[in-house]
Amino acid sequence: MIRTENLTKRFGDNLAVDDLTLEVAQGEVFGFLGPNGAGKTTTMRMLSALVAPTGGTAWVNGYQVGVQNAEIRASIGLLTESPGLYPRLNAEQNLSIYARLHDVDDVAGQLRTYLTLLGLWERRHEPVGGFSKGMQQKLAIARALVHEPTVLFLDEPTSALDPEAARVVRDFIETLKGEGRTIFICTHNLNEADRLCDRVAVIKQRLIRVDTPAALRQGLYGQSVRVRLREPLSALPAVVEALPFVHGVSEMPDGLRVSLDDPEADNPTLIGALVEAGAAIQFVERESYSLEQVYFDLMRESEEAA
Amino acid sequence: MNTQRIRVIISKEWMDMGKNKMVLIMMALMPVLLVGMVLGTTYFMARAPEQDFEPGAGSGIALPPEMAHLDPKTGTIIMMNDQYMFYLLLIPMALPVYIAAYSIIGEKETRSLEPLLATPISTAELLVGKTIAAVTPAVLLAWGSFAFTALGMYIIASPLIFEYLVRPVWTLSMAIQAPLFALLSTSCGVIASSRMNDPRAAQQVTALFVVPVVGLSMLVLMGRLYLSLQLLLWATLLMVLVNVGVLWLAVKLFQRETILTRWK
Ligand SMILES: Nc1ncnc2c1ncn2[C@@H]1O[C@H](COP(=O)(O)OP(=O)(O)O)[C@@H](O)[C@H]1O
Ligand SMILES: [Mg+2]
Repeated sequence: MIRTENLTKRFGDNLAVDDLTLEVAQGEVFGFLGPNGAGKTTTMRMLSALVAPTGGTAWVNGYQVGVQNAEIRASIGLLTESPGLYPRLNAEQNLSIYARLHDVDDVAGQLRTYLTLLGLWERRHEPVGGFSKGMQQKLAIARALVHEPTVLFLDEPTSALDPEAARVVRDFIETLKGEGRTIFICTHNLNEADRLCDRVAVIKQRLIRVDTPAALRQGLYGQSVRVRLREPLSALPAVVEALPFVHGVSEMPDGLRVSLDDPEADNPTLIGALVEAGAAIQFVERESYSLEQVYFDLMRESEEAA
Repeated sequence: MNTQRIRVIISKEWMDMGKNKMVLIMMALMPVLLVGMVLGTTYFMARAPEQDFEPGAGSGIALPPEMAHLDPKTGTIIMMNDQYMFYLLLIPMALPVYIAAYSIIGEKETRSLEPLLATPISTAELLVGKTIAAVTPAVLLAWGSFAFTALGMYIIASPLIFEYLVRPVWTLSMAIQAPLFALLSTSCGVIASSRMNDPRAAQQVTALFVVPVVGLSMLVLMGRLYLSLQLLLWATLLMVLVNVGVLWLAVKLFQRETILTRWK
């Protein structure tokens, strides 16, 4: 549904997006992660046919960027970094402008559907300048959806919101999953990406890594378990190390961290060996890494490489 | 060009304009002041003693040969009214530049341009919509002011003064020049808003065009030029040429990527 090939954007000497090659499948929720200035917004603008690439190309919904821009714009919905509503107009007017620009058949029906869905129906006659940030963001989301686009671009949908409003918006985005729409989300919020996205790309001008959050974790840290012990025993690491499926052991203040092939299959053997060696085991748990750790390690890696 | 999308833009601009006090006040102020001044001046001059207007007296104006057959007082009032009509033509000059610049700079400020440009609307449709939205009220206000002045003149002044006010050189000027002025002014607003971030600054651009109009009115007042249909024809030709040039520049500057990213 979205495919980029060596997509590049230069502003003068500034390389905003460098040689980006990606593919996002239909119905996929795709996260786009990267620090400020990484080129996320610029990529989204190129894919929305708002700015022209300076190199490479891209297809959205089968339409080629730069060649079929009108078709692209007709088939996508874009939530920009700031809501960009008309503050003096009311919610209904703001939405109806977009519905009519997209030549929606049943304008009144679509307005009703989305204003209701986002909890704005009661306040549809109020000028949106008086709305809270969260309500404005919800209206902007409704505006991006009112013509039923097959690809939805969301540029940092929750970053300007307070935690409460962010949660409402995040919950709403989650309800959009599984409706067949391709959703492309730029975000700073790694928990959000973890929760919402089928796959994430980490970028900083260039593509650093792209995969499912789980695969990224595993790729970076492998599988590991934590064994918590009542008291440390100096003989234990050697015992564990000798097991054939163990890749590494590190001693922690409260026990051991063991990386191994497959925790489900190997844990019983591991525990047996430890008990035999006299260990007093309190807990054995799967080591869990947040996407945040993954992200920072990838960033550090890319900085060291540069 | 999709007329439905152009209509959406026009209606959006007008809805917004209707809720913008600043624009509404500006739109009301100039016509009301001008019409009041024309009618007030005529009213009081018509009631002043005849001898005030005799050659050599304080209030008299040297009439051009074409108006020599008029009595001095009537001639002076007509000359005054002609001056005011020049200023009435400045209405379609002063307003659209502000409306157009405001509607583009305003969209940059509210960041509404980016989502708007991500819809199927073409930049040409957007430009046409915004232009029509800015030109129409200004032209209607100019025509309304002229009609109002004529009506008032019909009531308070002599038939001769009324006839001179609505003579072809003015009715045609209103019909032709007012829209041309408004279009020129709009294009200036579009150009200015691609470079400036304050609609009021954009408005100062039209000072450039006010100067020739005022200059022309002074030449007429001093008797150096007579307001003939021939003069109108030349002025129209000149205006069309200037309009084409300025509009070309406006279209050239009004590009999706430029208006979207040349800003911060
Ligand atoms: N219109 C522009 N003109 C010049 N440079 C730009 C423009 N837009 C973005 N950039 C630059 O491109 C880089 C990427 O910006 P952006 O795509 O906004 O990053 P992100 O959304 O990831 O924070 C930054 O260095 C930014 O300064
Ligand atoms: Mg951004």
